[in-house]
Amino acid sequence: MYNLIAGLTQASESAAAPSVSIDDASLWHRMSDALHQSFYRVLTLLIEVLPGILAFFVAMITFTLCGMVISSLLRRCLSWVKFDTRLARPGGDGWTPVSSPTEIVARASFWACVVLGLIIGVSAFDVSYATGTALPISLLPYVTHAVGAMFLLIAGILIARFLARSVLISAVNAQLQYARFLSLGVKWLVLVLTAAMVLDHLEVGGKIVELAFGILFGGIVLTLALAVGLGSRDLVSRSLESHVERGGEREHSAHSGASTSEQIRHF
Amino acid sequence: MTTERSTSAETLTIDRTTAALLVVGAAIPPEQLNALLTNLAEAFPAENVVVAVQGQIAVSAPANLRVIAAPHSSAAWMLQAADFVHAYEVGRDQQARAILMLGPGADSLKPEALRELARAALSGSVDLAVPFYTLPAHAGLINSAILYPLTRALFATRARFPLTIDLGLSMRMAERLATVGKRFAAANQVDAIVWPVNEATVAGFTLDEVAVGTRDVPQPSDPDINTILALVTGSLFADVDAKAAFWQRPRRVPAARMQAAEIVTADGTADVPRMVEAFRLANLNLQEIWSLVLPPHSLLALKRISALDAGVFRLPENLWARIIFDFVIAYRLRTINRGHLLGALIPLYLAWVASHLNVTASGTPSEAHIEAVAAAFEADKPYLVARWRWPDRFNS
Repeated sequence: MYNLIAGLTQASESAAAPSVSIDDASLWHRMSDALHQSFYRVLTLLIEVLPGILAFFVAMITFTLCGMVISSLLRRCLSWVKFDTRLARPGGDGWTPVSSPTEIVARASFWACVVLGLIIGVSAFDVSYATGTALPISLLPYVTHAVGAMFLLIAGILIARFLARSVLISAVNAQLQYARFLSLGVKWLVLVLTAAMVLDHLEVGGKIVELAFGILFGGIVLTLALAVGLGSRDLVSRSLESHVERGGEREHSAHSGASTSEQIRHF
Repeated sequence: MTTERSTSAETLTIDRTTAALLVVGAAIPPEQLNALLTNLAEAFPAENVVVAVQGQIAVSAPANLRVIAAPHSSAAWMLQAADFVHAYEVGRDQQARAILMLGPGADSLKPEALRELARAALSGSVDLAVPFYTLPAHAGLINSAILYPLTRALFATRARFPLTIDLGLSMRMAERLATVGKRFAAANQVDAIVWPVNEATVAGFTLDEVAVGTRDVPQPSDPDINTILALVTGSLFADVDAKAAFWQRPRRVPAARMQAAEIVTADGTADVPRMVEAFRLANLNLQEIWSLVLPPHSLLALKRISALDAGVFRLPENLWARIIFDFVIAYRLRTINRGHLLGALIPLYLAWVASHLNVTASGTPSEAHIEAVAAAFEADKPYLVARWRWPDRFNS
């Protein structure tokens, strides 16, 4: 037994011997090589991508300037032909913008140019990046995805605010005491959904986000189903009954012409 | 003496002979149409009257009336833009001197009322004859709270019922309304209903009110206040926006001619606690939205009155006028979505109704309170004009 252990110890010492034999100069040489290669790769990538970045900014600036010129020209031309006066309808209609039609056309043309510049700039950047794919940098794909994610985020925030207000006003007019909570619930539901979509678009989190949302929504639906099926049968039946009664009252008031009572008629 | 003959409106062709008066009726059930024709026959026993009725209805027309088919209209509640176009076209074909447009439920108008409306339109001195109805004290509250005071303050007209159901038109007035109506119809703006009276004022036509007594005012198919208020006030606000160049100039309101006869009903205060509670709930929850529309002192005043008991609840007339003006401004500026804006107005309107019911229950005549509200709108008009021109100047 002792002989076996001694044999194994000798074998391990003989295996470690070559690594000990590497001298300091060789270590520094290898590290320096690694650093040089890394620096070279990054520099090469930057040199290859730099034209794309420059093209992006040049396209943006050029088209913004073009937009300003076109907008200014349009504003002058439309004012000269009295576009607002010609478009104005004496009888009026439902579409009554705050700005004058000339101003709207001028602004629209300006922003169209800016968006065009953005698209061309991103395309130029994309082409430039494609040529440098031999040197991968994992952050660069997010530049293009971030633009889409930003639009998603803005749209989500706007939709959340719109829906929250709609729910709040409707709930208040329906005289629901928990109107604010309902509105907040809708708002955060949409915001969280938006956040998940943004993360998914940015490819952050991967399947974790999908799983989390699947579990969350599945949980909500299951909770509601259980609540309705088991715990809130009476509540739901009362709610449905009151809804039916309200419908009956509405029909009755439509015939009688009174919306709240026999004495009060709003119209 | 009238001899009755059964005929089908659909099969009758338009007789191109001169008619002194063209009566255009809305689509109504046959029994109502028969009652209306009887009233018309009694009102115009000797005149040359053509009655245009809609649909394939077998009618028993009195002999002194000539019944023709009118183009179909979708108006089940209120006169729509297309109705004015059709009325003018039929009137032009018939070479009528004046047109009497009657809305749904016109069979409840007495023959004298029909005669007076037609007489005003045929007189040559009046372009637009609008009826002055005698309604129960607590009927037509949207009209009393918003339509009448706002129209009177801005367009300097005392038309008590700017939302027209029945009208007497001269042919030039009919032509003008048809021209505007064509634009609305082309744009498919079926919700444009509060504009003919304002249009007549802007065009400089003569307008007169005719007392017609009681009438069964047609009710919308959906009597939900949320729907009605948004529809009616939205239409008026849009018209105010479109005619801003006109009403910003100062004008003197003509002296009052009509004195409304009160129909005494129950005080209606049974609904006040519910309305005040709705207002309080809104005051708690809609501050975020109201603060985008109303100036701080209005919000403060609303907060104060929300603490009042239902029995003594009052919404001051000048505060109500200021609220409506601020909502008109917000409608114009699109401060928030217009649907949201009009939805946020509903609890405030209910607060006004509760206040109005309390005021009338305390012994003040309903019409006196409505006139006080209208006077407050007139007095505060400079605020609206100032904010319309300089919206950033939030407080005056």
